[in-house]
Amino acid sequence: MIRLRGKRPQRLIVALYTATVVLALYLPIVVVALLSVNDASVPGFPIRHLTLRWFRLGLSSDACLAAIGNSIGVGVISATVATAMALLLALSVRRDLRIKGVIVNVLFVPIILPGVVAGAAIFTMFRLLHLPISLWTSALCGHITYVLPFAFLSINSRLQDFDRSIEEAARDLGATAQQVALKITIPLISPAIIAAWLFAFSLSFDEFVRTLLLTSYDRTLPIQFWYMIVETLAPEAPAMAVIIIVISVATSVVAFYLRGPTKKRILSA
Amino acid sequence: MKRSSDSSQYLRRDERPARKRPIIVAAAVPATAWLIIFVLVPGIIIGVASLWTSDLYGLHPIWTLHQWHRVLTTPLYFMLLLKTMRIAVVATAISLIVAYPVALYLSQLRESTKRAALTIIFIPFWVGFVVRTFAWLPILGRRGLLNHVLLSLGITHAPISSFLYNEGAVYLGLINGYLLFMILPIYLALDSIDPAMLEAAADLSAGPWGRFRFVLLPLSMPGVLAGCIMVLLLNFGAYVTPALLGGPSGIMFSNAIAQQFIADNNWAFGACLSLLMTAAALCGLFAVSRTAGMRRLLAPGETR
Repeated sequence: MIRLRGKRPQRLIVALYTATVVLALYLPIVVVALLSVNDASVPGFPIRHLTLRWFRLGLSSDACLAAIGNSIGVGVISATVATAMALLLALSVRRDLRIKGVIVNVLFVPIILPGVVAGAAIFTMFRLLHLPISLWTSALCGHITYVLPFAFLSINSRLQDFDRSIEEAARDLGATAQQVALKITIPLISPAIIAAWLFAFSLSFDEFVRTLLLTSYDRTLPIQFWYMIVETLAPEAPAMAVIIIVISVATSVVAFYLRGPTKKRILSA
Repeated sequence: MKRSSDSSQYLRRDERPARKRPIIVAAAVPATAWLIIFVLVPGIIIGVASLWTSDLYGLHPIWTLHQWHRVLTTPLYFMLLLKTMRIAVVATAISLIVAYPVALYLSQLRESTKRAALTIIFIPFWVGFVVRTFAWLPILGRRGLLNHVLLSLGITHAPISSFLYNEGAVYLGLINGYLLFMILPIYLALDSIDPAMLEAAADLSAGPWGRFRFVLLPLSMPGVLAGCIMVLLLNFGAYVTPALLGGPSGIMFSNAIAQQFIADNNWAFGACLSLLMTAAALCGLFAVSRTAGMRRLLAPGETR
């Protein structure tokens, strides 16, 4: 803990300032929540009567339900595939492989690349090779590529401060490399694996511009929401927003607490 | 290399027997293959596509420099690239100014309250980017919260429509959207500073300002740099914010690229613009990485 030990007024000013910033961050969420229960055919102020009909309308629309299902499906598949590949890579890269530096550098490319460019590149490849452009082909591949580095970073940072002596003890007792990985290492880092999975899921769930380029008729929730507000400002849009908020925040909160108390780990997420 | 240096002699046996190596190498194959197929190959393809001919029916392997000629001779795209860079840099600078005191405050909290405070800061960023950006429409719009408050307080007599669809709204959306990526690295840098440093400074009769200016500020610079790079990249690639809040005059480079693929069906030209944008991003990164080690910035405590 670091204290500037400044005079009280200075500390109070910084505290008030932080509170203001936090309020500004929450303002959009509060506004959306208020509008989602406002009985008005065009989302806006003033708040008249409270109603749940926009939630009923949203949840009874086939397009919205399909979008929720699509988002969860793509999220689950891409998080699972990416976490599995990331785990294998992290276990492998721990032993000093020659190509380690190259792999880790290439791994950063999907983070650095603007989302539009990443989407456009995969789109062009699928089109040139006459592969189908759809949510479950191109968009899914785009999602896995996008979340893979993040899954790797969160698992890898846990493996970095892993006590190797436990593995060495197992090996001294005659365990093979696979046995050590399956019975010692993976169970011990399982909270980090689950956290990486949830983190990958929430990234995929929130992904927008890659999906916009890489899907055809099937829409994820953010894409469905996008068309709801861009084509016509649908009255149930704020209610849909609240549904998105609930799913995203729920998965992220779980991931955050599984991540454990190490502060360093937050950044590598 | 690090492994052999920090493990003592009795761990030497851990240097794996050669026959167990293939399994370890094999474990790296799926992710590596994936990266080759979905990062390297598309990268090469988009380079080739920028030299091919595009029409309504798709790409044709007829080599041409037409696209590149069009990009390099149409001032519009350079202006748009410069505008995108300007917006990214200004939004990053404002984010830094907004975020630093917040990070400083967080780093000074008691350990017990830190976790709760961090969660409070994190939650808005878990909400979903499109949703958070959308929310500015019912805040700044004609029937929005701001106009509603101004009208009910009698400050204005008619709703003002100029809050939205301009560069200012884009700045608001970007700063609000990516502030966490600035707060977090600065907080982590400040939080890892040894308190003894501050005590030493205090013993040498440095006041609160002196301790901040000569201890905290220089020691938090790695965090500042990491935050700036991340936010700069995110701002530079922004698509949703300018599309929703910027109006016709507020579009940025990502929007121009997406336009080629979604509406105009001119993939060759889109590929060309994509390469231009990537080159600009890499140049920016290169410029920054000359001041500090790239890998250290992107992932502190990571590998090597």
